[in-house]
Amino acid sequence: MQANELQNMPTLGLLSSDMIAAQARAANEPEWMVTWRAEAWDFFAQAAPPKWRRTQLAELQQETIAPLFKAQGTAIQWDKALESKGVVFSSLAAALHTHEDLIRPHIGTAVNPLAHKFSAMRAALWQDGVLLYVPRNVEVELPLRLSYTLADGSRAMFPYTIVILEQHARLSLVEEYTSRGIPETALVAPTTELFIGPGAEVRYLTLQQQGQGVYQIGGQVMQLGRDALGKWTSIALGGQLQHMELEARMQGDGSRINWVGATFGNQQQNLVTVPWLRHIGTNTESHLEFKTVVTDKSYSVFDGMIKIEHESHSTVTRLEEHAIHLGSEARSDSIPGLMIDTNDVARAGHASTSGQVDEEQLFYMQARGIRPDEAKRLIVMGFFEPALAAVPLEALRESLEAAIEAKI
Amino acid sequence: MASELIIKELHVAVNGQEILKGVNLTVQPGTVHAIMGPNGSGKSTLAYTIAGHPNYEVTDGEIIYKGENILELEADERSKLGIFLAFQYPVAVPGVTVANFLRAAINAQRAQEGVDPKETAIPMVQFRRELRAAMESLSMDESFARRYLNDGFSGGEKKRLEILQMTMLKPSMAVMDETDSGLDIDALRVVSEGVNRLLNPELGVLVITHYQRLLDYIKPQFVSVMMEGRVVRSGGPELALELEERGYDWIKEELVGDAS
Repeated sequence: MQANELQNMPTLGLLSSDMIAAQARAANEPEWMVTWRAEAWDFFAQAAPPKWRRTQLAELQQETIAPLFKAQGTAIQWDKALESKGVVFSSLAAALHTHEDLIRPHIGTAVNPLAHKFSAMRAALWQDGVLLYVPRNVEVELPLRLSYTLADGSRAMFPYTIVILEQHARLSLVEEYTSRGIPETALVAPTTELFIGPGAEVRYLTLQQQGQGVYQIGGQVMQLGRDALGKWTSIALGGQLQHMELEARMQGDGSRINWVGATFGNQQQNLVTVPWLRHIGTNTESHLEFKTVVTDKSYSVFDGMIKIEHESHSTVTRLEEHAIHLGSEARSDSIPGLMIDTNDVARAGHASTSGQVDEEQLFYMQARGIRPDEAKRLIVMGFFEPALAAVPLEALRESLEAAIEAKI
Repeated sequence: MASELIIKELHVAVNGQEILKGVNLTVQPGTVHAIMGPNGSGKSTLAYTIAGHPNYEVTDGEIIYKGENILELEADERSKLGIFLAFQYPVAVPGVTVANFLRAAINAQRAQEGVDPKETAIPMVQFRRELRAAMESLSMDESFARRYLNDGFSGGEKKRLEILQMTMLKPSMAVMDETDSGLDIDALRVVSEGVNRLLNPELGVLVITHYQRLLDYIKPQFVSVMMEGRVVRSGGPELALELEERGYDWIKEELVGDAS
């Protein structure tokens, strides 16, 4: 069977693990990957849908989702000169042949493929994807850019990203999810696993700017080794729905994460973010500051969790979420949680606020001649400033600001 | 066009409770008029009402400025008419830099109905030049412009920023609400000098203060005393000195005497 004959597959409800395995073999994937996909599909087929009470999945029908068995939306921007330093930035499918030794010990170890139906589906069906590897002591200062774009007419995409930083490596990465045109109901289900080695440092910016109609349901885990530092910025603006399960995992002693997030829902969007701060190592530190703005009839959910495992000591952690409601019909839920399985925590706290644009801020600006609509715009942009300030590319920052202003 | 600020029989309620009970006051352009009074006399209510805070409900009376009844205008429209309130408690807006805020405010002042705001916006070079000059005159470090509006500012920094805004926006009627509160003597001098530099024949200033101290620096031609929601005494600068010496109680006693 030729690979291209299989590029148009049946919808999810008609797929089988045999078909998936046949496709993987046709692409000459290693046998362990064939098995990995087939097992994931079997899990998907028998698992009950997850009980996500605040995620409105009713409109997403298996019958309408037909995966393409061909990578078609991955684009990378980087300096080829980095190759000489041993940096790998390659499609994941190609890397399965060239860097199997890097992929095999990592894939599926940070994001569990058998966690639920969607994680299994992503593992079974990924085609688009990237391996990014930075060797020991190599510093990639200019941001590398990785974009996954859902093409016109496509109904599904399952991008899989693996990022590996060896000891004392440094990297700045921008990972974007967008779609071309305004798609009908479509599914984008990304998985990203970042393995940040001892003393390494990563700046990771992830942007979700899907078109109307797109359901983005994915998982991103950043696993930090000893004394590693993560600077994570997550910005979500698009899509009909998102359900993103994110985790910063402080695995190594002394590892730290500094994380800011921004979500802006308008119209009928349902944007759910589930960020976890998981402390496993000792003397680890995390800080998450998440901002939400909702308007029109949108519904945003922040379901954040601090989890301190029993083997960790002297954790310092803080989780904050703040929401602004621009309209009375918009809703936001904030459900910050704290699970502590150890007696030895240095400092752990969470805070959450929500309300309309502050009246005193509004009056202060109006008293200087600024009209209320302009004042609101300034206040909202200021509210998102911690996330926008972390955008490493000026042009990208400007386009994000324009996208946010268009929603106000 | 007559540009006095005329307040006539002003009654104002907050949360249904009457605070101002018939205030009469006129501020002429080119003059400094001080309002003094004990805490709770309604001084700050008067300031917020002139600026148009939505929580202050005018139940009776008028405020006329430049011949217009400004009670019908929103706060931003009053500002565009030339009214400026220097806040007693300036509000923090995290994420919005001082420079961006000032530019938005200046552009709002310059905006004209039916004209593309891009046409009336202040050119960036001119803005930077004016900002630098204004900050220098108030002994403010350049880095100040990049800080977030009043966010983590000391009391003195906040008041200085109010005067910086006044310097940049060039109002014709300034209401200064307890500008001296929370200032040490050095900051008080810088702030007062900043205000004095702005005095001109077109500018009316209403200085609201609890203490006479500020009036050593910003010299009023007129002094009015407010108590329990009314102006109860008016006079020249000597009235402020008398208050400093004798406190407010003697006026209260005289009022009781007058009433009986």
